[in-house]
Amino acid sequence: MAEWNAYYRNEDDEEEQEEGEQSGGDYKITGRDSLVFLVDASKEMFIKGEDGQPSNFDMTMQVVRSVYASKIISSHRDLMALVFYGTEQSKDPSKSFKHVYVYHDLDEPGAKRVQEVDALRGGKGAQLAAETMGSGETSLGDALWCCANLYSDIKLRLSHKRLMIFTCRDKPHEGDSVKDRQARTKSGDLKETGVIIDLMHLMKPDGFDVAPFFRDIISPPEDESELGLQLEPCDKLEDLQKRVRAKEQKKRAQARLHLCLGEGINVAVGIYATAVTARKPAPIRLYRETNEPVRSKTRTFHTQTGSLLLPSEIKKSQVYGKKQIVMEKDEVDAIKKFEDPGMFLIGFKPMERLKRHHHIRPAAFIYPEEDEVKGSACLFSALLTKCHERNVFALCRCVSRRNYPPRFVALVPQKEEVDEGKVQISPSGFHVIYLPYADDMRTLDPPQCPTASQRQVDKMKEIVSKLRFKYRSDAFENPVIQQQYRNLEALALDMMAPEDTEDLIMPKVDQMDQRLGPLVQEFKDLVYPADYNPEGKPAAKRKTADTGGGAEKKPKVEVPEDELRAHVQNGTLGKLTVPVLKEACKKFGVHTTGTKKQELIDALVDQLGQ
Amino acid sequence: MAGAKSASVLCMDVGFSMSNSAPGEEPPFELAKKVIQKFVQRQVFAETKDELALVLFGTDSTKNSLDQDGQYQNITVHRNLMIPDFELLEEIEHQVHPESHQADWLDALVVCMDLLQTETKGKKCDRLNISLLTDLNTRASSEQIDVIIENLKQAGITLQFFLPFPVEDDEESGRDADRGSPGHPGMGKGLSEEQKSSVDIVKHIMLNLDEENGLDEIYSFRNAIEQLCMFKRIERRPMAWPCQLTIGSCLPIRIVGYKAVTEEKLKKSWTTVDAQSNKKDDVKRETVYCLDDDNETEVEKDDTIQGFRYGSDIVPFSKVDQEQMKYKHDGKCFAVLGFAKQHTVRRHQFMGTQVIKVFSGKDDEHAGVALSALIRALDELNMVAIVRYAYDRRSNPQVGAAFPCIKKDHECLIYVQLPFMEDLRQFTFPSLENNKKFTPSDTQLSAVDSLIDSMMLLEEDDNGDQKDMFKVHHIPNPAFQRHFQCLHHRAVSPSTPLPPMEPWLKAALECPDVIAERCQGPLEEVKRKFPLTEVEKKKKLKTSAQIFGKDSGEPDAKMAKGDEEEDYNLADIAEGSVTSVGSVDPARDFRTLIKKKSLPFGEVCQQLTRRLEQLLSNKNTAYFMKSITCIQAFREQSVKLGDANLYNGYLQSLKTSIPNRGLEVFWDLLVQDAVTLISKDEVKGSTVSKTDADQFLVTEEKKKEAAAPPAEDTGDVDDLLDMM
Repeated sequence: MAEWNAYYRNEDDEEEQEEGEQSGGDYKITGRDSLVFLVDASKEMFIKGEDGQPSNFDMTMQVVRSVYASKIISSHRDLMALVFYGTEQSKDPSKSFKHVYVYHDLDEPGAKRVQEVDALRGGKGAQLAAETMGSGETSLGDALWCCANLYSDIKLRLSHKRLMIFTCRDKPHEGDSVKDRQARTKSGDLKETGVIIDLMHLMKPDGFDVAPFFRDIISPPEDESELGLQLEPCDKLEDLQKRVRAKEQKKRAQARLHLCLGEGINVAVGIYATAVTARKPAPIRLYRETNEPVRSKTRTFHTQTGSLLLPSEIKKSQVYGKKQIVMEKDEVDAIKKFEDPGMFLIGFKPMERLKRHHHIRPAAFIYPEEDEVKGSACLFSALLTKCHERNVFALCRCVSRRNYPPRFVALVPQKEEVDEGKVQISPSGFHVIYLPYADDMRTLDPPQCPTASQRQVDKMKEIVSKLRFKYRSDAFENPVIQQQYRNLEALALDMMAPEDTEDLIMPKVDQMDQRLGPLVQEFKDLVYPADYNPEGKPAAKRKTADTGGGAEKKPKVEVPEDELRAHVQNGTLGKLTVPVLKEACKKFGVHTTGTKKQELIDALVDQLGQ
Repeated sequence: MAGAKSASVLCMDVGFSMSNSAPGEEPPFELAKKVIQKFVQRQVFAETKDELALVLFGTDSTKNSLDQDGQYQNITVHRNLMIPDFELLEEIEHQVHPESHQADWLDALVVCMDLLQTETKGKKCDRLNISLLTDLNTRASSEQIDVIIENLKQAGITLQFFLPFPVEDDEESGRDADRGSPGHPGMGKGLSEEQKSSVDIVKHIMLNLDEENGLDEIYSFRNAIEQLCMFKRIERRPMAWPCQLTIGSCLPIRIVGYKAVTEEKLKKSWTTVDAQSNKKDDVKRETVYCLDDDNETEVEKDDTIQGFRYGSDIVPFSKVDQEQMKYKHDGKCFAVLGFAKQHTVRRHQFMGTQVIKVFSGKDDEHAGVALSALIRALDELNMVAIVRYAYDRRSNPQVGAAFPCIKKDHECLIYVQLPFMEDLRQFTFPSLENNKKFTPSDTQLSAVDSLIDSMMLLEEDDNGDQKDMFKVHHIPNPAFQRHFQCLHHRAVSPSTPLPPMEPWLKAALECPDVIAERCQGPLEEVKRKFPLTEVEKKKKLKTSAQIFGKDSGEPDAKMAKGDEEEDYNLADIAEGSVTSVGSVDPARDFRTLIKKKSLPFGEVCQQLTRRLEQLLSNKNTAYFMKSITCIQAFREQSVKLGDANLYNGYLQSLKTSIPNRGLEVFWDLLVQDAVTLISKDEVKGSTVSKTDADQFLVTEEKKKEAAAPPAEDTGDVDDLLDMM
């Protein structure tokens, strides 16, 4: 059976592969990502902020909801759990913990879960929380243990495990040293199994002190800079969202390569895809009777004998200049190979030499991998500092995977940027800009056009200034994807109609008109003559009305015999039109069954080619 | 460009003088043959509709339509005007040989002109060209020359000469034109009388056809071969996309967009054929659907419906419903959403796979002025237009940026797609700046500084302008070049292995020689200043690619896929990486470590007991259970290895500490499971007898009643550990 299976090639796999190339699954480690939200449900969490600010609990639920929803879109295979601690009621699969309430165990988030989290939002949510869970004693140790069990119950391979604690209490056990110790031990256990523990500490009246207790609970920051501990507690939803968002996504290197500066100078770097075009999910096939997914298998077999073909019984071919050229499958792969993967430094150029229009695909990002080659980070950092200081980019030849042909890339230095809350906006590293080859540049013939006068330009400047706004890359949602998911959500939850989506990339025409006021007319008066209609088409090229329709008899089409023979000989029959070919067939008494061009040509060649 | 097609005649001299060459040099005949081979190859692989004819002169026989009364002798029309194919290439390879006659090259030119004129009659050709390859070593009768020039002009035929030697413009070079540049291969002992007079005729013709650049169309064989070795770059006709740029509801500007930059793919893809017959029709691919059950029950395609995943839910959603409910929009659009500062749109945020250049509507100068006003306004304000772009009704709308672009001869907007919120991945990386470990020293920085100096790819030319030495967008895609090279090789010599990469291609991808040389010193310095050591991985999890190596035949790119669904066994995976007794499953770690024998037995035992003490200090049933499994593992491994002392010692000291630490509950559990000392019967070296071992637990049970109330956790376990 196994051998039989080997003959199949699964199409879905191939598609996923394509996707994988873009989203860049980790080269070495594969498996699912997982994230557990461990949320404090004590009374303190439910205290409303001043001026009707949402309570910490409410804020947390909003964040959880948005992470659920975004995971469904971006990485639905990630596993998520929602656990409350400090509750009165208890609920967990093993029934061995008190005051821990597993609201959602580790699983892929679905429509129902989103709805259930929704139910915990706002005033009603607080009420529901009080009814179902209540607030009671706190044992973070038990809660962590419970989470550990969630992880160990999962039979899938987990590649990335993260646990986020949302609380506004810096001393959850109020000095109970036993409970403190238990929590420490348990957090140690978790960390040892590779779980990264983050603290999303929320505002409380007298400030949140991380040092006495939570410092030992959470995972140390990657760069030992203690940046994580200096963070102020969150008091705004946006901040919390940003902070969670920054942690929630696992950085996955698409590939780990050597950046080779010269003979024997190899810096280990990881390539990361920081922006990947999100697409509508691919449909899956379901069996009509049961709605269960079916698998598709593709097999290759011999038309005549019907036997399955082994890979060795297949070759690849292309036809050029009437000749079939055949190669083995591995030769086809070998042609693509130039060298082993890596980035090879060619030289440096000033930044202004990087042309804006030299763009063929979204950029990637590289960051040193100290674990692979020790000293990488230092050399990388020096290179980054100097490139940035001198405003140059590094030009490299890049082979990102084995058997990939080389591409040239510009490494553009990026210095770290942080916002007021010390949250990183852009990390330090190099952006990898892919550059086009000669084949990728199309020759255009730019039309000669008159240029505008300064008065016209100035008027347009006024218009431009009126419509200024601050561009943010995350400001626009993709309406196509949003609509698709709203539809699916509606179907999954048996809603009457999908929720409305706002199309954020639709120009707000009314507001624009209002802001511009008379400027538009003034500009038009300056550039367009009175009788000009910018919306109309220019004088139609072909006036069909004049010719009096198609009533006229088609002129007889005929080609002299010798010319036809010449065409047959030169293999250029294809240049004649179908009516001409039909006429020719008639003339030579060639009987054709088909009316397709190729059939006519074949028939003529058979007749005249002899 | 529409319907652009050209017709050209390759006219090659095969007369006897073409075989003459100076010692050590290739004869002109061979070089000329290479030129036409390369040229035809390019045409074949570019798959243009251009037609080619081949005329040979100096042939022993005569075959042309002007052959009359002993005129136009020794000129053979080898192939009439038609699309070049491999047949022609093979004919050139096998049928074109040096022959022993000579013919007047001007006569040959006339034959070619006649051929072009008669065979292009009724065809639409926008370019007619004759390429003459000769050593000019025949006497040409120049009487007809003015008639010939007149005819060429009238018919619009262009001429190219390929000669064994370079011809220079005598006024410009100031050198003796007849001698050309000394030392050029092919010059041999200098030019013969015939050649000299012929060169004059050639110049006369060329300058008459094009006064300015006529001489640029005279090439030497070597130059031509160099230029032709590259396969033609893929060219596509730009498609106009007419639309309206709108600002608000009442300011439209007619525009037309063209794709200017996009990653070009090969036009043809591989088809699968049967290895025996090489026929495509013998191979059929079929897709079947089957249920995910043990029997893999196949189901008909008609019995399947479309569905989608919504997280963990699977939602049946038919194509019809999907079509009806999907996002709909008004179609083609280029609407300004607003304007933003250029610097807020960062280069690395560019999305999509193309760049569109936007010009004003065709033949509409008013639109031209309006667009020019916008372009200049944006340029002067350093702003960019953020626009909604939709190619047509069927395609998804995008958000993008239109940058102003002002060049010497034209102005346009450059449109690039920008990301949607869903596309972005906000990764955080540890800071490199704040980390003292990674901060380079000043000397290190200066080493990098001089490296950058030595590797600057700009050089100043004579006019003091900066010249770019390495323009990536002038390099042909090496993948295509290699692809065609291999295809060509396989086509002409089917049974031989694929050739190595062409040296020129390899060189084109490398750092320029000047730079490579110049950077040697600074590179050495960098190497000295920055120690780099490859970290030995203890045990890398092997990917299938590494295991199967290159023989798997599968390109590595495919290996990136994860086998996520695979049920996994934690122990198997973790085993490789256990280095100490952890707290999660200490018993398992303990066993693994003992098995691996990487640490001495005593050391491992000590790690285990340390964990045990930690576990016991928590005083919780679940921890107790874990502790018991640890002790059991300890016992089991000790028996296995025949070393009872450590275990017995630990258990005894544990027993004595029970009352102090209030661990009676735990002890009861131990008693229940009958985990006692290792006796002599089990391990020879043990000092404990079987009865003592049995007694060990029993006595404790009795004592228990009398035990003092448990003292609070002392937390001090050092004395226990010291015993190990």
